[in-house]
Amino acid sequence: MTTYPVRFLLNGTPVEVDVAAQDTLLETLRNKLWATEVKNGCGKGDCGCCAVLLDGRAVNSCLTLAVQANGKEVVTVKGLGNEDDPHPLQESFIRKGAIQCGFCTAGMIVSAKSLLDENPRPSPDEIREAVSGNLCRCTGYKKIIEAISDAAPKCSPSD
Amino acid sequence: MPEKQHPANDHPPVDVVGRSLPRCDAADKALGNTKYAEDYFLPGMLYGKVLRSEHAAAKILSIDTRNAEKLSGVRAVMTAKDVPHNETITRFGQTHTVGGFEGLYRILADKKVRFMGEGVALVAADTPAIAEEAARLIRVDYQPLPGVFDPFEALKRGAHRVGEESSNLVCYYKVRQGDITEGFAASDVIVKNTYRVPFQEHAYIEPEAGLAWIDDDGVINIQVCTQVIEHYREIADVLGLSYNKVRVKGTWIGGGFGGKEDITVETYLALLTWKTKRPVKMAYSREESIICHGKRHPYIMTYKTGATREGKLMALEAKLVSDAGAYVYLSPWVLLYSTVGAAGPYKIPHVKIDARTVLTNNTFSSAFRGFGVPQVCFAYESQMDELAERLHLSPLELRRRNYLRKGEATATGYVLEHYAASPEAAEKALEALGEKTKSKSPAVKIGRGIGSSMTSYGRMVFLHDTSRSYVGMELDGSVTVRCGVQDLGGGQASSLAQIAAEILGVSMADTRVFIADTALTPIAGTTTATRQLYMSGNATSMAAKEVRKNLLDKAGEILGAEPGDLDLRDGIISVMNDPSRSVPLNTVVRACASSGISLFHIAQFNAPARELVDFKKGQGQVFPDFTFGTHAAEVAVDVETGKIDVLKLAACFDVGKAINPQAVEGQLEGGTIQGMGYALLEDVILDKGITLTPSFSEYLIPTSLDAVDVRCILIESGDGIGPFGAKGVGEPSLVSAAPALANAVRDAIGAGIPDLPLTRNAS
Amino acid sequence: MTQMEYAKPRSFKELDGIFESAKGPLRFIAGGTNVVPDLRAGTISPRLLVDLSGLKEMAYIREVKGEIAIGALSTISDILASRVICDKAPLLFQAARHLGSPLTRNRATIGGNLADASPAADTAPSLLAMGAMVHTRRRRGKERTIPLDRFFLGPNKTILAKDEIITRITFAKPKDPSRGRYLKLGLRNAMTISVASLAVSLEPEGSSFGGARIGLGAVAPTPVRAYLVEKKLASGAMDPKNIEACAQLITKEISPISDIRASADYRKRVVAVLFQRAIQAAVNGGTP
Repeated sequence: MTTYPVRFLLNGTPVEVDVAAQDTLLETLRNKLWATEVKNGCGKGDCGCCAVLLDGRAVNSCLTLAVQANGKEVVTVKGLGNEDDPHPLQESFIRKGAIQCGFCTAGMIVSAKSLLDENPRPSPDEIREAVSGNLCRCTGYKKIIEAISDAAPKCSPSD
Repeated sequence: MPEKQHPANDHPPVDVVGRSLPRCDAADKALGNTKYAEDYFLPGMLYGKVLRSEHAAAKILSIDTRNAEKLSGVRAVMTAKDVPHNETITRFGQTHTVGGFEGLYRILADKKVRFMGEGVALVAADTPAIAEEAARLIRVDYQPLPGVFDPFEALKRGAHRVGEESSNLVCYYKVRQGDITEGFAASDVIVKNTYRVPFQEHAYIEPEAGLAWIDDDGVINIQVCTQVIEHYREIADVLGLSYNKVRVKGTWIGGGFGGKEDITVETYLALLTWKTKRPVKMAYSREESIICHGKRHPYIMTYKTGATREGKLMALEAKLVSDAGAYVYLSPWVLLYSTVGAAGPYKIPHVKIDARTVLTNNTFSSAFRGFGVPQVCFAYESQMDELAERLHLSPLELRRRNYLRKGEATATGYVLEHYAASPEAAEKALEALGEKTKSKSPAVKIGRGIGSSMTSYGRMVFLHDTSRSYVGMELDGSVTVRCGVQDLGGGQASSLAQIAAEILGVSMADTRVFIADTALTPIAGTTTATRQLYMSGNATSMAAKEVRKNLLDKAGEILGAEPGDLDLRDGIISVMNDPSRSVPLNTVVRACASSGISLFHIAQFNAPARELVDFKKGQGQVFPDFTFGTHAAEVAVDVETGKIDVLKLAACFDVGKAINPQAVEGQLEGGTIQGMGYALLEDVILDKGITLTPSFSEYLIPTSLDAVDVRCILIESGDGIGPFGAKGVGEPSLVSAAPALANAVRDAIGAGIPDLPLTRNAS
Repeated sequence: MTQMEYAKPRSFKELDGIFESAKGPLRFIAGGTNVVPDLRAGTISPRLLVDLSGLKEMAYIREVKGEIAIGALSTISDILASRVICDKAPLLFQAARHLGSPLTRNRATIGGNLADASPAADTAPSLLAMGAMVHTRRRRGKERTIPLDRFFLGPNKTILAKDEIITRITFAKPKDPSRGRYLKLGLRNAMTISVASLAVSLEPEGSSFGGARIGLGAVAPTPVRAYLVEKKLASGAMDPKNIEACAQLITKEISPISDIRASADYRKRVVAVLFQRAIQAAVNGGTP
């Protein structure tokens, strides 16, 4: 099988991986780079739990070919913060009870981050719009919207 | 009557219980650290794949696996003949034997397929792509059969027989209370209608997945997202192994809602790892998940309800028919819930219920949040509004005149032993909607509705349900809980931590819960039936109190005080009236350890146990207790396009005691929006058994732009039978949302819609 | 298992080179939101994937001499972020807001939305209503300009040759951008395939509907213009009676299907409603 070497920055670290033409970024992140925080929920762009930032914009990694990430920057929820230095969005999701099963959370936070980078003080309606590609089956969305609202003033563009 | 157990009520909450603390699993989930079932890998791991039937009904004439076996990288191909015990009976997660509910359960189709998506063969291969290719290379020679897809057709003489039994009727339950003829004769107003509700898909965001391997002791280990780790016994039965040779370890689950209650990937994984002696992983695609797992039962419900001029309910007659789909699974249980719940939270002297569930060649139906109650709730709550209209009473007033109160008997003759919050909940839910929205256009009509329900928590009492929990103090003063609960995302693990922390005077951060491992955690039963907080919460509370007792006894010795005068909080034991006399918890723990005093306890909580009810008359206690509540909704209906916009939703429930108010709200908010999806847009569409909605492009659930902020009102009566007087809310939170919305639409457009989803009727 | 190759030309010259050496069927990909699911489902299995996203000269939105030009690689998010589109072509802005979700809009391109030729393509009704032209390029620089209403041939079928790509979409800047309205009806409020969608653009002349253009989605095998209605509108007065008559006519001009989302009858009914609402909004200057 023909494979293609792909290099990109994953959460700030350069990675290099050989992929087939049709391999998606999602499969590659999960199965070759062990970035399993990126979830596989539908494989066709219907649920948003595979969302990552691709050059700063939230996209479905299941709809992006791995080869198309070549030379770009990919950020997952783990690239936003960690135990020692969580991102304000992560803190708010924890504190506001915005997480139940947690399977949508990684994608949800990525979409929220993409929003806040463009619009630092979004209205609740703008937040609802921004996460409208991220399905959640547990929470009814209320606490997710609240958590993003709550995090907004605490975020700086560098976060 | 066995004594009632309220194991935690003598310990009023102080520090931890009752507070909206972040759940113990939240941080790892937010940071992306939590591993779910598909996130595990083992060296040498194979990938499993199921070949599924494309026919809904067909004979299998032959299966030729030779080409698949020849494909390079294929390690195993299995069909029904390779399964040691391919046919077993459904007895899922049960420890007490009750007759009359079992159905055939078949691992792989043999000679006949009964629904589209039924497993026909298994493959294990080096890569997912090879496994898929191998599945394609298996030649199955089918002879299509006509099949039967409508439960009424299936009941007719001469109908296609779905299974091997002589009839497609799975079971038939009755309730007979009073004299129905007399009841209608005494009624001034009678309403009658037939209601239809569709298949509903759980649509958890995590598809089914698991990983199995054989460990150094020859034990088959299966790590899987399941609501029932106790399936290990059924899995062992299939393989013909003793029960201690199969271990199921549950992962953090990406949503269950009943859909991960039946066995999914685990038997397939066990078979493939047993055959290949290698680790095997299997993950369903979304399409596979939707096609092959059980759904909420569609029901056709004919209701007739009579009341006096004064609005007193006199008689209710209901005929329920549910579509069980192709295998029995949990249909008899679900039907029993519907039967017992068919008359709702109302006092009605004359009741007659006839309930049947029927096999068809549709996708099988099984457990789904609410378990047969949302269907009947939609029907009886529609009847209430139809009656209210005829009686010129407000929907609230009619209900208020008929709600069951504590001490009154349900249609099945069970006298309510605890506070029944219906009147209070209904008023508060409606009030929470605030001022009525004004329409901005003549084409848009605004309407409001309510839906009330009583929903059980805890399993049926004739199942003699039990749960166990281990609570132990570590030498550093931290607390370990071991409990076989499965955490679906509802906070099942965290609430145990909160309870143990409260009783042992430590913080949540110092409490660790190990869950869901049949080898290492005490068996705690299924995470279903809104039972874990009630059952395992009580068991954890009992165990924690035993440990607490030992600690206080020792501390009393050290402090020279009576144990009863001591207070334990924030890691310090002190004399209540003289806090200057205190000792750190750590010191007491070490003192106990030195003097051989036990620092752990395993407690077993037994739910009240009763004998099986009589299904000819349906009289007796079926459930340990109920949760009462009401949903209220305000909608805007565009009468020109049929589009329904939900403007407001409120949910008011008596939760007994909110162990974690934020988590309880989360349940109410999520359940309500799931109920909103059921009301408005969710519909698994089958055409002669073939799924036309196999992905989230066709099967639509609410997005953030469809949902509204659910206004939650928690009533805390303290009169539940869970720890600290808590009741369960997981399932109740969904049950009455759909009828509230349907009644709001009725209010808006002046006519009721008897079928769900409501939007389907417009389009 | 299919053996698939991948190429990402950085220039038209490189693209021509790929055409010369290609063996077997090729497929273009840009944002991937349509192509990747098709690959996954196995409904397409090309020998070669040609990734157009390296042709940077095709990502722009500009206004030149009264004409708005949108490079085919512009994403739907680019369109939503464009002042030019927001101020001067709100009809397209409104449509873009209803396409998928932000996650898909950040990848999906306008060229891809048209080339995929879904009957429900979200940007098509507005572009049709603005009289858009599709500019294409074949190997060796052969270019042509196709009016959008001649571009679609059927569900997922276009007039494009195998070696032909969309380079840009152009349309004359609407004279009065407020005289347009796009309406979409789906089963939910985000990530929803249209049950019916409609765009109306007016260029009122005195008291007549002269220059009315109507684009429709999800009610025929392709996105379509409602020519008969446009003609009838223009020939009558700008009054409720004419609108009502045209609403009747529009149900006859379309040929919707019944599917899992809606019945043909329902689609006809709601198109008439959407039409009346959109016209009214366009008359009022954009507000419904």
